Amino acid sequence: MNRIGMLAARHGLRTGALAFVLLTYLTLIGLPGRLADLAMPVLAGVVAIFFWLVLRRSPQLGGIYGSLGGTALWAGLLAGGFYAVLTAFFVGLLANGVRVQLVFDKIVPQNLAALYAVMPGVLLSGELSPVGWLRQVGLLGLAGVVAALLVAGERRLRRRQLPSLAALRWLPLLLPFVLLAAVIGLGSPAVTFGGNNQGTIRLLLAMLAVGSGIFAARAARPGGGRRVLWALLAAALVGLPFLLDQFQNSVMGIVFIFVMMGLGLNIVVGFAGLLDLGYVAFFSIGAYVYAFLAAPFSSPWLIAQLQGWGLPVSGPLVSFWLALPLTMVVAGLGGVLLGVPVLRLRGDYLAIVTLGFGEIIRLFMLNLSELTNGPRGLLNIAPPTVGGYSLGNPRDIFLLALAGAALIALVANRMDGSRLGRAWVAMREDEDVAQATGIHLVYTKLMAFAIGALFAGLAGQLYAARQTNIFPENFSLFVSIDALSLVIVGGMGSIPGVVLGALALKGLPEVLRGVDEYRIITFAALLVIMMIVRPQGILPSLRRGRELQEQGGSRADQPSVLEALPDSAGESSLAKKER
Amino acid sequence: MALLEARRVTKVFGGLVAVSAVDLSVGERTVASLIGPNGAGKTTFFNCLTGLYRPEEGEIRFNGQPMIGLRPDQIVAAGMARTYQNIRLFGSMTVLENILVGQHVRLRSTPLGAIFQTPFTRREEEQAERRARELLAFVGLSGKGDLTARNLPYGDQRLLEVARALGSSPRMLLLDEPAAGMNPRETDGMLRLIRRLRDELEMTILLIEHDMKVVMSISDQVTVLDYGKKIAEGQPAAVRSDPLVIEAYLGSGMLEGHSKLA
Repeated sequence: MNRIGMLAARHGLRTGALAFVLLTYLTLIGLPGRLADLAMPVLAGVVAIFFWLVLRRSPQLGGIYGSLGGTALWAGLLAGGFYAVLTAFFVGLLANGVRVQLVFDKIVPQNLAALYAVMPGVLLSGELSPVGWLRQVGLLGLAGVVAALLVAGERRLRRRQLPSLAALRWLPLLLPFVLLAAVIGLGSPAVTFGGNNQGTIRLLLAMLAVGSGIFAARAARPGGGRRVLWALLAAALVGLPFLLDQFQNSVMGIVFIFVMMGLGLNIVVGFAGLLDLGYVAFFSIGAYVYAFLAAPFSSPWLIAQLQGWGLPVSGPLVSFWLALPLTMVVAGLGGVLLGVPVLRLRGDYLAIVTLGFGEIIRLFMLNLSELTNGPRGLLNIAPPTVGGYSLGNPRDIFLLALAGAALIALVANRMDGSRLGRAWVAMREDEDVAQATGIHLVYTKLMAFAIGALFAGLAGQLYAARQTNIFPENFSLFVSIDALSLVIVGGMGSIPGVVLGALALKGLPEVLRGVDEYRIITFAALLVIMMIVRPQGILPSLRRGRELQEQGGSRADQPSVLEALPDSAGESSLAKKER
Repeated sequence: MALLEARRVTKVFGGLVAVSAVDLSVGERTVASLIGPNGAGKTTFFNCLTGLYRPEEGEIRFNGQPMIGLRPDQIVAAGMARTYQNIRLFGSMTVLENILVGQHVRLRSTPLGAIFQTPFTRREEEQAERRARELLAFVGLSGKGDLTARNLPYGDQRLLEVARALGSSPRMLLLDEPAAGMNPRETDGMLRLIRRLRDELEMTILLIEHDMKVVMSISDQVTVLDYGKKIAEGQPAAVRSDPLVIEAYLGSGMLEGHSKLA
């Protein structure tokens, strides 16, 4: 075999092994069983996309058409072979009466049966033909070929610079609308609480539509066309809640509540570079403040107070809308309260203290039972109302979360380009120099904490209204970690990245409801892979991208303009203006 | 009345007296230089002036106002801006953004103004950007405003530091080794820039420099530090022939320093 062939083979083996690991993971968390008949085609599709992503990044092999195809075929056959051996092994164990489920609790007959396209009973009786085995190898090998064809086709098109490609550039922009059409096309299945596959696929499509919409909004060239596209995307987004059913809406609602929260944390961590691990504190402050106002009858202390003043205790004190400014103020003050003691702390120390702060607030909620009703929680929190019409159902909450997220995104975006936003970034880069350049560190830090806290407070209020009942356990450390993860996965400092991060980390687990217990490990794996493959996040902010870009781009050793600097600018406009 | 007046400034780190009772006065629209062997306390003295360190003893007056105890940002607001020996730009920001950060103390727009994009904020941001471009043109970096600061050539990064310092409309500039690491032609360019800062912008300049060619050709006054103490002060020519200065450079084994002095 020649050198290039060897290279192709090695690359192929590695890619195939990686694909095998991915497939094994998906099998272990029980995906095939949920997809039933579609299991093998879907897994082959996932693997084809994986191969495509890997192969298109390998330029040294790309020039040679044959070795590219060879690489892909190698990879596919290897992944297929390994996979088939693994599943055959489990089938063998099951057929011989070994209770594999005790160790691998998702390796149930349905799961494996879906991979072999047979009935579960066939597995248990051990009468399995080699056809099922070959089917797995064949389909994954095919996936490799498809991926190779995709990469080769893509490269050919690029090289030729066909004029018609300019028109094709618009095609990706249509993707969100195509997906949305598919959502509509699938229709609204009657009741789909988790179990219904079609409903889950609809939810997935809806989330993909939102995600691709964000990419489309970014990819569009400036000009009139972009405005039209943005308007259409906005209209589609507003329409989305009316297309989804209760379960889907409630998932999207929580996704966008996390978007609101993530946007706030993005200011603290992404813009100002203050690592806050106790961010849930402000979320819970927002939720509890609203709960006190909307359900005072749940709190023994508040009941006593209200009765003391001769006020009725049966209903909410103020409406959702009147509570908004109050929540914002209290949460913002909470942010300042946390900010003051940690002003002098940096990096790791800051992270530890904020971590403690988050726990302190949760323990307050847990143990201050006179006020917060302790672990029994605050119950029957009133939903927002408009003119007597209650906005408590999942669709309205999703709409409210959309509106809230849009508003917060707008504010965050404006802050980013403002005087304060620049001060945050400067402070993140070099605190001492920022101060010596004229930035008031105390004010700048406290503003970051306060604004971040305020957004989390709003998210918390909406969360309380959505849940109707809140308990201290809703506000554990995991909420902070989720929020931080979605900011990192989306791309630190990137506003659209937060939405993508929330979809990926809060939305996808709902699609895979059946494998929810593997959420944390999936997150962890995702984060690790993410940080290795794409440390800047899915959709990084331009600035963070620059920060992490390779130093190879630096031109520090090039000649400076100093060499050709004039003796005097003569009529420099500046010289006249100064004093 | 001198613009900057430092009296008996002393800074101690543990047992080490880094700056010991140094007096310095810099007159308006002059170029003063601070020289001395490595470790003589020049940068520490700079840090005392700009508020990064708080001196244990002594008094610093700028424009008649006491500066000790003020935060660095307050000192910038009072009109003293600086650059750094090892360039410390905000690397991931664009060239223009760096200068806008430099202007921070001179801008008044509030977060609320930014959120609602009030006419005042928009006008101020426009003006700030225009001024940033003017400053870029002044230091000779026209057209490079949208580059990432980190990707500028080394010499240009030094220029950008000067432009960023100018952003705060200072009366006095403190330049910490502005010509360090530059080739002779770049050094000449920096020299011309410093002259233009003084002559066209009427800036008062205090600089630390090792390159004697720079020091001797533009300074109105030279101060020599050694082991934290001031050992000589005066006109460049007088300082150059001062036996104490020669000894300080030769005595610390710096033949290179001697050849530059000669």
